[in-house]
Amino acid sequence: MSRFQEKTTGLLTNVDLKGAKGKIIYWAFFAILIACCLITFLPAVWTVFTALKDPNEIYTSTKFFPEHLSLAIFTERILDSWNQLKFGRSILNTFYFSVVAWAIKLTVCTFAGYTFSKLKPKGSTVVFVIILWTMMMPSQMRTVPNYISFLSFPFASKSEFGIGINLLDTYWPLWLGGAVDAFAVMLFKNAFDSISDSIVEAATIDGAGKLQIFFNVMIPLSVPIIIYESIMTLSGAWSNFFGPYLIIQDTRKQLLPAKIFLIGNDGTVKQNTYLMGLIIASMPQLLIFAFFKKYIMGGINVGGVKG
Amino acid sequence: MSNKNRGEAKRSKSGAFYKKSFITSWLFAVPAIVLMYMFIWRPTVMGFVWSLFKMKGYTPTHFIGIKNYVEVMNDTQFIPLFINTLEYVFWSLVVGFLPPILLAVIVNEMVHFRQKIMTFLYMPAIIPAIAVSLLWKQMYDPSDIGLLNMILIKIGMSPYQWLNDGHFTILWIIVSMTWKSFPGAMLLYYSALQGVNQELYEAATIDGAGMVKRAWYVTRPQIMGVLILNFVRQIIGVFQVMEQPLAMTGGGPDGASASLGYQLYKYGFVTQRVGHAMALGTIIFVVLILMTVFYFRLNKKLEESM
Repeated sequence: MSRFQEKTTGLLTNVDLKGAKGKIIYWAFFAILIACCLITFLPAVWTVFTALKDPNEIYTSTKFFPEHLSLAIFTERILDSWNQLKFGRSILNTFYFSVVAWAIKLTVCTFAGYTFSKLKPKGSTVVFVIILWTMMMPSQMRTVPNYISFLSFPFASKSEFGIGINLLDTYWPLWLGGAVDAFAVMLFKNAFDSISDSIVEAATIDGAGKLQIFFNVMIPLSVPIIIYESIMTLSGAWSNFFGPYLIIQDTRKQLLPAKIFLIGNDGTVKQNTYLMGLIIASMPQLLIFAFFKKYIMGGINVGGVKG
Repeated sequence: MSNKNRGEAKRSKSGAFYKKSFITSWLFAVPAIVLMYMFIWRPTVMGFVWSLFKMKGYTPTHFIGIKNYVEVMNDTQFIPLFINTLEYVFWSLVVGFLPPILLAVIVNEMVHFRQKIMTFLYMPAIIPAIAVSLLWKQMYDPSDIGLLNMILIKIGMSPYQWLNDGHFTILWIIVSMTWKSFPGAMLLYYSALQGVNQELYEAATIDGAGMVKRAWYVTRPQIMGVLILNFVRQIIGVFQVMEQPLAMTGGGPDGASASLGYQLYKYGFVTQRVGHAMALGTIIFVVLILMTVFYFRLNKKLEESM
């Protein structure tokens, strides 16, 4: 209870919390939060338990907990689901896809941030404002025209010159389209802005070129924001559903989110195995969150509010 | 200041160096600008241009004026779809707008387990959106194997149709979307609350303001900017809803949960009425741009009043 003494301001103050009314309100708030934690966690717990149930059990018993639970069943269920779902290939695809998407996007956006923050050639302010406008552009309108241009890349459509590369069934439209992110450019511009000009000048006097300054000064001095953006990009690429679903028809190149959607539609997979599939698909992100919680939940201070 | 002057002097002395520097400086931004042109500006403009063309497959053939628009709007589906889309927005505001604000305010008051509670509440935000939709589809299962019907049976009620009940399909989809999106919004408000000057609370307390008054006169004005921003963002986001009906209901039952975005997907990639897809895209675009303009007006007024 002594912790109440440390809380001097806010909606409830330590004076309020001494009284019965204040205490009741405080613990009512606490109860609301616990209830919300239950709401966020119940579906996850149910998913795990159902995934571990015996196939015969899901349709006969409506109990929340599996009737039998042991390490042996646990491993058997995971192996059995893995064999049925055949996720191996799409997990490797998605991994490869995410890493390349990350590399391209970070290169493109950090370079652009460097131009608009430190190099500032004539006209860059105007262009930067135009880039910021792209954040306001509703994205849905672009779906079909973009698809048409992927049929004869890099031209707008086949009728324009009658030539172009068909990019369907490749990852390129997703990589290149995912690399343009006005928000990321702005994030890096802000990060580079906070690096003092005198450091850059000192490096220039020492004879460093623009590229050297970029790699030896800019990047090392903005590591937290790069980690934050990397996490966001990697987990965004990992969970990207609609684009890959449209563009990748070749089953050998299929990515995981589209795969779990299609498995759900064909209806031959039983519920417990299917839920195990959803768990497997969410696993990398849960792991990323476990390790980088600090960056994910703190990063919003760096970017979110300023934007 | 003197550094800056020196730099300018150096630049103006040698024009050749300046010119070379000009080009290399721009080179760094070229990939971003080219890609932005190709993936954002060009398709936006071409989408409008081609919405005025007759399309054969994915190739524009000839100019037909506003015929695509007339056909899209005369479709018997158009008005119901528009209403459905507004229904999505309506439910998302009813179900999804207030809870993250209240939760952020409450978490901010906690002195016990604050970080742990935040971590627990944030969990749904990290699960991929498509996995959330598919998981909730399983939970909404109309037979007794879904989680929600299991609970209903447990407390002695009869199982319910959930997504198959056409009157409320949209509400149930919105509930699943809110489950996924509220932690992000909550975190945003929470960090805004962290920035509130504590002296204001102290001053208000000394002036004798109670809890409710402090919430209204101190907390509210401080987070109003983020609040309005999120309000408009949510409307714009939900107005374009497409993946969720696609993954959870396929627009059903009987078109009850089909949105304009879902219809655009069907025009463009299922029924191959590509011209119609782009006309519909333009209509959605105009509606959203109007909302954005409205937001900026509102924001300007708010800033002036403060």
